[in-house]
This record gives sequence, C-alpha cells and structure tokens, in this order.
Amino acid sequence: MNETRQFFSLFEVCQDTGLTQELVFHYIEQEWISPHSAVLPEEKCMDHEDLARIKLILELQQDFGINDDAIPVILHLIDQLHGLRNDILKSREENQL
Amino acid sequence: MKNPYQALGLTAAATQDEIKKAYRKLAKKYHPDLNPGNKSAEARFKEINNANELIGSAEARDKFDRGEVDTEEASARAQQQAREYYYQTQDRGAGRYGQSFSAGADDIFESLFGSRQKTRSADELYKMDLDFKDALLGAEKEITLPSGKRLLVKIPPGIESGKKLRFAKQGNNGADIYVQLNVAESPLFTRMGNNIELELAISASEALVGAEVKVPTLTGAVMLNIPPLVSTGQKLRVAGKGVKGKGDQFVKIKIVNPSASSGAMDEEFKAAVKAWSKRHPFNPRSENERSL
Repeated sequence: MNETRQFFSLFEVCQDTGLTQELVFHYIEQEWISPHSAVLPEEKCMDHEDLARIKLILELQQDFGINDDAIPVILHLIDQLHGLRNDILKSREENQL
Repeated sequence: MKNPYQALGLTAAATQDEIKKAYRKLAKKYHPDLNPGNKSAEARFKEINNANELIGSAEARDKFDRGEVDTEEASARAQQQAREYYYQTQDRGAGRYGQSFSAGADDIFESLFGSRQKTRSADELYKMDLDFKDALLGAEKEITLPSGKRLLVKIPPGIESGKKLRFAKQGNNGADIYVQLNVAESPLFTRMGNNIELELAISASEALVGAEVKVPTLTGAVMLNIPPLVSTGQKLRVAGKGVKGKGDQFVKIKIVNPSASSGAMDEEFKAAVKAWSKRHPFNPRSENERSL
C-alpha cells in the first residue's frame, strides 16, 4: 500500500471533505484521527488513511445519525476488527506455507 | 443504471422523508466499511449512494422527475468520483490505525484493552515552516500536535533554519517534543549572521550626486540617504534592522543604467557627459594598471 500513500494539507482535507478547519481540529482533539505530524495549515500532515477515516466519520455522523459519544466506540471497534482481520489473514497465510 | 426509486426499494410516490429513511437504512446495511472486502455490498452501496444523489434532496429529485438528469452521465460521474474506503487503507496490515490493535508480537489482550497512545514514548520530532521575517524578529505560533494537544511555540529572534526547539515533557507519556524549524528564504533579503543584506538598484545620477530613496526593511520601508559618489558593491548600513536587538541591515548598491532602447541616453546627454569627462578625467582601473 505504500506506493499509494498520499499526503494532504489541512486546506486540502477541508476542501475534499467540506469540513471546516475547526472541525478537523475537533476530530484530532477527540483522537478520532491521529495525523503523523503537527497540523499546520500548509504542512502535508495527513495521509490517505486519515482522509478515508474522516469521510467514514462524516458518514457515521451525517448519514447514520450517530452522535459524537458513539463515534469513538465505533472507531475503536472498527480498529479492532481490522487488527484482528489482519492477524487472521496473516496466520492463515503462515499455515499455508 | 437502476432507477433510483427501485434502488432504494421505493416507488416514485415516496415522500422525501421516506427516501431519507430508506437511504439511511440501506446505507447502514451495505456501507463498505461495515462489510470490508465484500464486493457485492460495495456495488450495492454505490447504487444506493447514486440514488441518494439523484433523489435525496427535494431539489435534485425535482430535476430527476422532470427528466432533466442524464442518469448515464450521473452514473459515470459517480464512477469517476470513486473514493478509497477506510477499510481499504487498513487492508493487510497496511494501516496505522488497525495495526495498533493487531496482536503481532504483543499479548492480544494487552493490545485490545490498551490505549493506542501507550505505544509511543520516544521523543517526538515535528517540522515547522517559518517565514524569513518571523525567524529574524521572533514570533509566537500555535501548533496542534497529532494527539490534539495545542502547543505554543515561541520563536526566539535570529533562529537559524534547521534548529530544533525542545519542549520538555510535552509529548505522550512525558516524552520530549522537538520542533525543527525550516526558515524560508526571502526574495529580497539575504541573511548574514545577525545582519541582513539587500541589493538596491540606483541610477548613475543618484550614485553621482546622492539621493534619498525608499528602502524596504523587515518592519516596513524607511528613507535612506545615499551620499554622493557611491559605487556598485558599496554597502550602506541601516542600523537595527537585522535580527531583532542584535543586527543591522546592509544595503548593497548596484548602479543600473537605462537600457539602450529606452531612449533615455540621447545625443545631448552623451555630448554633455563626454565634455564633462574630458574636463574631469577619472580612470577607475588606474590602480590595477599600476600593479601590472
């Protein structure tokens, strides 16, 4: 996946998602997203993973009507799901070898 | 492309509220992030999303119902806008977020119930771009760290590019934070330690008889008195306009003549200069010639 890794500035993320800078900061403060470097307006501080995660959060909020209190619970469970999914895939591959 | 009403399991008689409810219900069921890797769910979600774009708002729906929307075009546009879903970024251990919950070498229960933050304890280094002016005069900048914490960075006047500022115990788990500064170049000024230099173009007549000219500095323009008979390369000092409290600005003179095509150097002027030079001979190369 590394070859598809793209980086975005705060401006670009706001433009792409329609979020205000304040809301992106809110997502960071809530630890819903965790950019790889300090968030400065011009700095390419977020990657495609952060961007996809922001879009998912937006859909959870806007389309699914999920409130702010439930967002971290869902993200936490999704993160666990991916962690476990990857572990299962990995051990399945190791067993096949 | 499927009729958007059918895609949402409705008829054209559905109310706007029913459309909204049907979309939400189906989106929850088929969202690709809730069905990672399930291609048919993803295709169905795209269909639902497309339908929502077409009839999800009263305005869009009116357009669609009047037959003003080219559904093929809308579908092609939706294809073009195809986005990367979150689960795709986490696939096969590629993602940072999912990885922090992967058992890996650690005990699975520790990673399930432990906080993501616990994995970070080393010093943290962040990079920050800085204006030339802010680096010379000092500034205060607020940055937001990935943890969401805001940090006020006080930039001391005269800091050089590449220098790191340390913030003890401000990081996760009491780690130190370093902010490395990258100072931008200035199109006008060149830094020379605590001083800065500016090249100033003046005309030959200003160089000969002197003049008072406007000169930019970091804190705005000032009037500079150019004494008579300055030469190219000569430096004039503007005190206190370099690094705040420490340096000066030097103005390097550069004599610039009008171009031949401008017509400023007419025959009358040439004749006058020739006559004057004859009466006041001056050879700027005389010293060089003596040493040869």
